[in-house]
Amino acid sequence: MVHQVHGYLNNKQSAFGSLDVVRWTPKPQIQTDDFFLLLFCVYFENCNMTMFSQSPLGGTSSFVGAAATNTVNPMRDFEVTSPPDDSISSLAFSPPALQQNFLIAGSWDNNVRCWEVEQSGKTIPKSMQSMQGPVLDVCWSDDGTKVFMASCDKQVKCWDLASNQTVQVAQHDAPVKTCHWVKAPSYTCLMTGSWDKTLKFWDTRSQNPMMTIQLPERCYCADVDYPMAVVGTAGRGLIVYQLEGQPQEYKRIESPLKYQHRCVSIFRDKKNSPVGFALGSVEGRVAIQYVAPQNPKDNFTFKCHRSNGTPGGFQDIFAVNDIVFHPVHGTLATVGSDGKFSFWDKDARTKLKTSEAMESPITNCCFNANGQIFAYSVSYDWSKGHEFYSPMKKNYIFLRPCFEDLKPRTKP
Amino acid sequence: MGRKKKKQSKPWCWYCNREFDDEKILIQHQKAKHFKCHICHKKLYTGPGLSIHCMQVHKETIDKVPNSLPNRSNIEIEIYGMEGIPEVDLKEHEKQRAGGMRPQSPDSGDEDEPAAKKAKDNLTGGVMQGTTTTNGPQMMALPGMPQMATGMPGAPMMMHPMMGATQFMMGPMASMMGNPQMQQAQNKPLFPAAAAAVSTSSSATLVGADFKPISTSAGPTNHMKPAFPAYGSSTPSGSDTPTGSAASTTPKTPALINTTSATSRIMHPPEDISLEERRAMMSRYQTSAHLSHGMLPLATVSQPMMLAARPMVSVAGQTVSNAAAVQAMMNHHAQANAMLRAQQHPAAMAAAASMAAVALGQFPGAPPGHHMAMLSGGNMLRPPPMGLPPGMIHGLPHGGPMGPFGGAPMGFPGPPMLAPMMHPRFR
Repeated sequence: MVHQVHGYLNNKQSAFGSLDVVRWTPKPQIQTDDFFLLLFCVYFENCNMTMFSQSPLGGTSSFVGAAATNTVNPMRDFEVTSPPDDSISSLAFSPPALQQNFLIAGSWDNNVRCWEVEQSGKTIPKSMQSMQGPVLDVCWSDDGTKVFMASCDKQVKCWDLASNQTVQVAQHDAPVKTCHWVKAPSYTCLMTGSWDKTLKFWDTRSQNPMMTIQLPERCYCADVDYPMAVVGTAGRGLIVYQLEGQPQEYKRIESPLKYQHRCVSIFRDKKNSPVGFALGSVEGRVAIQYVAPQNPKDNFTFKCHRSNGTPGGFQDIFAVNDIVFHPVHGTLATVGSDGKFSFWDKDARTKLKTSEAMESPITNCCFNANGQIFAYSVSYDWSKGHEFYSPMKKNYIFLRPCFEDLKPRTKP
Repeated sequence: MGRKKKKQSKPWCWYCNREFDDEKILIQHQKAKHFKCHICHKKLYTGPGLSIHCMQVHKETIDKVPNSLPNRSNIEIEIYGMEGIPEVDLKEHEKQRAGGMRPQSPDSGDEDEPAAKKAKDNLTGGVMQGTTTTNGPQMMALPGMPQMATGMPGAPMMMHPMMGATQFMMGPMASMMGNPQMQQAQNKPLFPAAAAAVSTSSSATLVGADFKPISTSAGPTNHMKPAFPAYGSSTPSGSDTPTGSAASTTPKTPALINTTSATSRIMHPPEDISLEERRAMMSRYQTSAHLSHGMLPLATVSQPMMLAARPMVSVAGQTVSNAAAVQAMMNHHAQANAMLRAQQHPAAMAAAASMAAVALGQFPGAPPGHHMAMLSGGNMLRPPPMGLPPGMIHGLPHGGPMGPFGGAPMGFPGPPMLAPMMHPRFR
């Protein structure tokens, strides 16, 4: 066994993408047994930083039972430096068009931050832009040159990374909850869903939308994978659109879930065309739904993000905050208000892995373009109301090498 | 099924109004849910049997049937399956069943099939509530049901249930709606979408107060069972979710999520609005952008009120006026709304100059028509003033002491500056 003393690369291989999976053990100096569990979080954070980034950011900490009980980063994943100051609302990795990995995070502090994520796991803050209100969604253009930011200020702005300028590209009458870039053979546009119950498609050069579709209710979640788009609305509405030619409603689906829709993500079949989606609700449940199932039994739901609960007593049920599919394996990851992430294989209908619980709910997750990195953000999602909100509480984004963890159970 | 007439259609449980395919299943259900001893888990056969068992074996008295509806919890009545159900209740159930069936029939068959059972249950449950005025907490659960049912018919209807439910709930409670509402609810709970948009009243507060203990914040809900046994379990979830989960099978109430049930609780605020919407309503997140745009949505909702408020704003001046204006608006706007705003208000004090706009700005997060639904559970946990009608809210106006953040509970006691002015206008 190679000594893997430092957080990450004992040999200079990349943290992500190497099969020599790095094991995290704290730096030697930390091994003094000072488990001052008291001196926690702040120090843990420092420790983590020193472990992951070559430059001793936080300085050395003499104690820290980082080895034993790290409640802030129980999975010992890489921590992204300079995280946002308020809860993270959206995460997006750069598309395959770019060589390097850039991570964008939108936050309730009105800012969108960009980091470069190196192979070593080191994250370098690159730049930041602001909106006039909390950012609810971010997305990349397909060529990786622009980032779109949807905000509570009812606008969507386009951030040109090269020039670091922003320009408004969309306007709604209520906060914009989702924005997705649509790249069709015959057109490209930005699809925005808002609480004003409309879905609008924007040619970013024009002030008026190319198309506006009325939704039955406020848009709560959406996903686009050309030629399919799915929108989940308030009141458990679920609509599938087909985007070929021009966007039009394809089908309204009776929701397979009995509770409020929270997140949706499209998946592809073996031939790499979108065939269905996973829908998450606030009741710890995810529905896998094929738009045109060969067999009605192909559609199913599964429970997740629930505490065990004693037989006589309580089970805590948490909302599923985000679902993402692995770009290579087709397996999926879910994150919930319980502060855990789980990996699942929907074809084998099994769970692959569940993480330890973070201190705060996990609000978002995403995979990078080649499926090597899993990013998840830990911050308060309001699931317990405003009483449990503390502006002091730190928000984190963690990165994890995940290629192995997400391998499907079934023979592909 | 083979027989034409299924003994008064499907067997249903007198204690909790759930429906079953078969009487055998009904009996199993009763044994497991209603006739089970909570001490030793022994399953008895009847209510009186359970009571005798507990007395003899555990020396404990039981006063009501576990997991039963509040008006059906009499332990003395001997019910076994469908036997022993009093005529009166049988008729009532039939009636509700018939009343509930109608709205369902136009819908497509397959949609109804799986849903019908639940729908019927829900409807009957809800309707019952409508007819027998019951107290607050129960109202919450049952009225939810009709919404569930109405949710079934399809996406387009989806939005209505929310309003419908809230209306329904509030109506009986506050007697604001009065009969028409209840009847509407009985026949087509979905419906009040229109009514909902109109009637913004009130009992939001009452409901809120009721919800308070039920909110999912950590502490209080821990001991759900003892606190709300009737409530929690009285939601007749007719059919389980597709995967047949046992844990929380209570149907979602469009306006409110039934976040607690006998065995589980959902970590989500009770109002069925998304977490982001809830959060965005906090004045902390209201921004200058809202200031300018905020006017619009609000205007559409309750113009006269807003306009009325605005002059106040200019009169009173800066933050104070802001608060006052907001409060004024609140009064007008559903009280529920009001509460939300008020709550966020103090936080908002620090906000920008166009005060009225800020207040207005808060609204966009809450699409019109949903205000009723937006009881913020958090609100309920706040000091009582939140639950109070306008008067207290008016007390809010002092931005100063409040501090910029919701952290400072709305200190309240400020002299209701604009209150006197507001009052006459605002009900």
